[in-house]
Amino acid sequence: VKPARFDYRAPTSVEEALPLLGLDSAVLAGGQSLVPLLNLRLARPGTVVDVNGIVELDYIRADEGGLRIGALTRQVTLERSELVRRRCPLLAKAVRFVGHPQIRSRGPVGGSVAHADPAAELPAALVALGARFHLRSPAGARALSVSEFLLGPLYTAREPGELLVEVEVPEQPQGGGSGFAEHARTHGDFATAGAAAVIAPGSAGITLLGAGPVPVRATAAERALCDGAEPSEAAALAAQDVEDEHRRALCGELARRAIEEAMR
Amino acid sequence: LSRRLVGQPLRRREDDCILRGRTRYLDDIDPPGAAHVAFVRSPFAHARIAGVMVPERLEDVFAVITAADLEGRVTDLPVQGFEGGEVSAEGHPVLAGDEVRYAGQPVAAVLAASRAAAEDAAELVEIDYHPLEPVLDARASDVTMSRWHRVSGDVDGAFRSAAHVVRASHALPRLAPVPMEPRGAIASYDGVEDMLTVWVSAQDSHRQLAGLSQVLDRPEDSIHVIVPDVGGAFGSKGAPAPETMLVAAAAMTTGRTVKWAEDREENFIASYQGRGMEADIDLALDDTGTMLALRARIWADLGGYLMPTTAIPPHTTAMLMCGVYDIPAADVEVEGRRTNKVPTGPYRGAGRPEAAYFLECTVDAAARELGIDPLDLRRRNLIRQFPYETALGWTYDSGDYARCLDLAEELVEPLRRTDEARVVGTGFGMYVERAGGLFETADAELLPDGRVLVRSGSSPHGQGHDTTFAQLAADRLGVGLEEVELRFGDSKEVPRGVGTFASRSVAMGGSAVVQAVEALKSKCAAVAAELLEAREDELEWREGGRLATGDGRSLGLREVAGAERGIRASSRFSSDLVFSSGAYGAVVEIERATGRLRVLRLAAIDDAGTIINPLLAEGQVVGGTAQGLGQCLVEEAVYDEEGNPTFASFLGYSLLTAAEMPPVITAFVESPSPLNPLGAKGIGEGGAIGTPAAVANAVADALGGVRVDPPFTDAKLWRALREAGP
Repeated sequence: VKPARFDYRAPTSVEEALPLLGLDSAVLAGGQSLVPLLNLRLARPGTVVDVNGIVELDYIRADEGGLRIGALTRQVTLERSELVRRRCPLLAKAVRFVGHPQIRSRGPVGGSVAHADPAAELPAALVALGARFHLRSPAGARALSVSEFLLGPLYTAREPGELLVEVEVPEQPQGGGSGFAEHARTHGDFATAGAAAVIAPGSAGITLLGAGPVPVRATAAERALCDGAEPSEAAALAAQDVEDEHRRALCGELARRAIEEAMR
Repeated sequence: LSRRLVGQPLRRREDDCILRGRTRYLDDIDPPGAAHVAFVRSPFAHARIAGVMVPERLEDVFAVITAADLEGRVTDLPVQGFEGGEVSAEGHPVLAGDEVRYAGQPVAAVLAASRAAAEDAAELVEIDYHPLEPVLDARASDVTMSRWHRVSGDVDGAFRSAAHVVRASHALPRLAPVPMEPRGAIASYDGVEDMLTVWVSAQDSHRQLAGLSQVLDRPEDSIHVIVPDVGGAFGSKGAPAPETMLVAAAAMTTGRTVKWAEDREENFIASYQGRGMEADIDLALDDTGTMLALRARIWADLGGYLMPTTAIPPHTTAMLMCGVYDIPAADVEVEGRRTNKVPTGPYRGAGRPEAAYFLECTVDAAARELGIDPLDLRRRNLIRQFPYETALGWTYDSGDYARCLDLAEELVEPLRRTDEARVVGTGFGMYVERAGGLFETADAELLPDGRVLVRSGSSPHGQGHDTTFAQLAADRLGVGLEEVELRFGDSKEVPRGVGTFASRSVAMGGSAVVQAVEALKSKCAAVAAELLEAREDELEWREGGRLATGDGRSLGLREVAGAERGIRASSRFSSDLVFSSGAYGAVVEIERATGRLRVLRLAAIDDAGTIINPLLAEGQVVGGTAQGLGQCLVEEAVYDEEGNPTFASFLGYSLLTAAEMPPVITAFVESPSPLNPLGAKGIGEGGAIGTPAAVANAVADALGGVRVDPPFTDAKLWRALREAGP
């Protein structure tokens, strides 16, 4: 497993990086997904644009009631951030399920989101949180909602010339809680299924991972919870459209655990 | 002399070097100017090759080798037979000629200045494949490559008169061995001396040497095999690989040093696999639960070709189908069938886990059918007198099966419970393991400084030979561990032996070491007697390695070495098979909502005869148990309906992590073997053999008797729980 030949560029600013991006280039951040794809020759970019030197994208900032997370912020930073724990505990809970500590110390938040693996934890949590994704290109900047951004397995609305620069998490309702539950073959392995929940009086965000091509927002369950349904009822609603019988049971159980944790 | 070191839980003295990164594995050897190999491997499970188009001159590429280039230079790999069985001559070709029989089979080899350049060029080799229908089910295959059948005693009569006949069908899927260090070989050829030197990551030098000699048709003394440090094998580096043969042949034809260090993807798809057997078993019992006879028909999924040792594990399974029980009559047949998958071969356990699993699951099914406690049923039928010749023809040398079972029951603390959230069950599995056999060699030399150098025909790849063998030698010499140095793995240095497999190192290699040391001591005594002007038989060998006369005069080994240079003695120890045994108990819990299996605790009781180093023996048990649990929980080499491997990376093939390991309670019963001077048997595989049977029976117990085969995935158990009802 040696990659096919590619050119290597290592810009140190977003301005410098943008002109290098295009159809024939791949962005190298943590390398946790791209490097295996390169080595297996499943990805064959002409140019690898290594963004690890763009320090301006490594930050977590309070923004009014919400958070702004630079795309290059490592998952371990998210995991250890007091600000994240205070303002958005769901992210702190979800990130602990990402791989192993070694992986979290390399992998950035933006990489996990832009890779769009349907079994990934952070996209599922960000869907439940109603996050927005900020993209830059030589033509300008735009922001997309999660449903606009995540289009399918390993497939996002990011154009070849665009760089994901920031994840924006809006202010969460007061007096709520959050929960994250996941099922994997072994510790640290890719999730078979999982559920994320953020619940406050009058509002609920529930997402399933491993139940479809992108994280699935369980709107029926959210409505039911707002109307006072029991966690188990809401969980059954969340999983009702999952096709395989065992997977449906699994998603229902994980949704129940996530909801109960959020309501505790 | 007293036993000061044997029996001590000494830590492995080789670990300091390993943990500091000072070991030298195959890929650490970096000969300047070497040609690096990338193989072009078949993407089809079964296809006819109509043509191979090799690209014209490419940058950094030295050669592209196809089967046509090897015509007359190499033969197919040799095939090893076994007693009383038939094996067909379908040895693995070095490179595929006009047919490929599994996805991953090497078709061409590219030699280039770097592995990356070789992989670039490998993509440009065009092969005209005409895909053929693959055969993926062993039972459905119409090509039998190995067969063994034995009927002993009045089987039909026993079944006619039996009060109960219990039938069971089981299957164990194929497993990938996944050593931490993949395979690899480096070869260089000296045309002036006509000497071929091959470094190879292998379990020993001997089988590599014999394989190279046969395939290349060269005398063994014109081949020098060096086994460097090896990062694990689990059986998969025992038989020589076709890739190693290609590397050697390429070194001879190109005159270059040629290096192949395989990557993880190659290791998954092209390294021979383990298990892949299924069986129908009938057990006849009288109305008191006494076993009368056993019938078993076993099918082994051998893959596209026979590797040298492919036919051995199915034969072992068949021979051990009576297990630890006194079953007077048996009719067992095994057929190894050709399929379009990578060949199978010995993998930790190598036929024994299959036998234990098939039989022990049947015994539990019988207990359920007869309404007898599974432990009582076992106790009624255990073999209690040794030596014991089984109906299938092997003679068990010694053992105390009842004691093993008692300990397993006591230590596992059986638990059975059902509530809304989970079901909990307990199960046991017993095993008997063929170990040792054939012969092994050693050579002991007195060094000028009085230390002793032991060269062993047995060679390590993670077992801890450097420590255990030093314990054996140092005790016999009456010296400290540091006075003994061990050497392994270089065919020009160590005596020609058999190698490391079949849990044979201590029983065979260790016995050869003590014999060589005793022979060296005699030679030293003869020299000392002359120096001390005493008779040899009045000399006493004392602590500190001193030879003393009755009147108090003595000499140390350094003085003996000073008097005569190069005192050296060698030995060749041979014996029949020894039979280790054990009883494993498991308590498992299945979560109703998800089907998740948790092994709550495991008791591993092994009888490997006399234990030389209890710490290392326990390490072997725990390691084997982890692999056995992996088989229970996650491991399975799945081919899709077209015969494509879905397990070419750790994404598709999962291994357990430390987080999944339950508490493992170990204990040893020591029934010394009468067949070697140490009383030793084998401990390397027990954990992998006993665990699946015990866990499977615990799972069935938790499921109220519903049977599923490993791996016990959440989905399977969730469905089984619904079948079992509340």
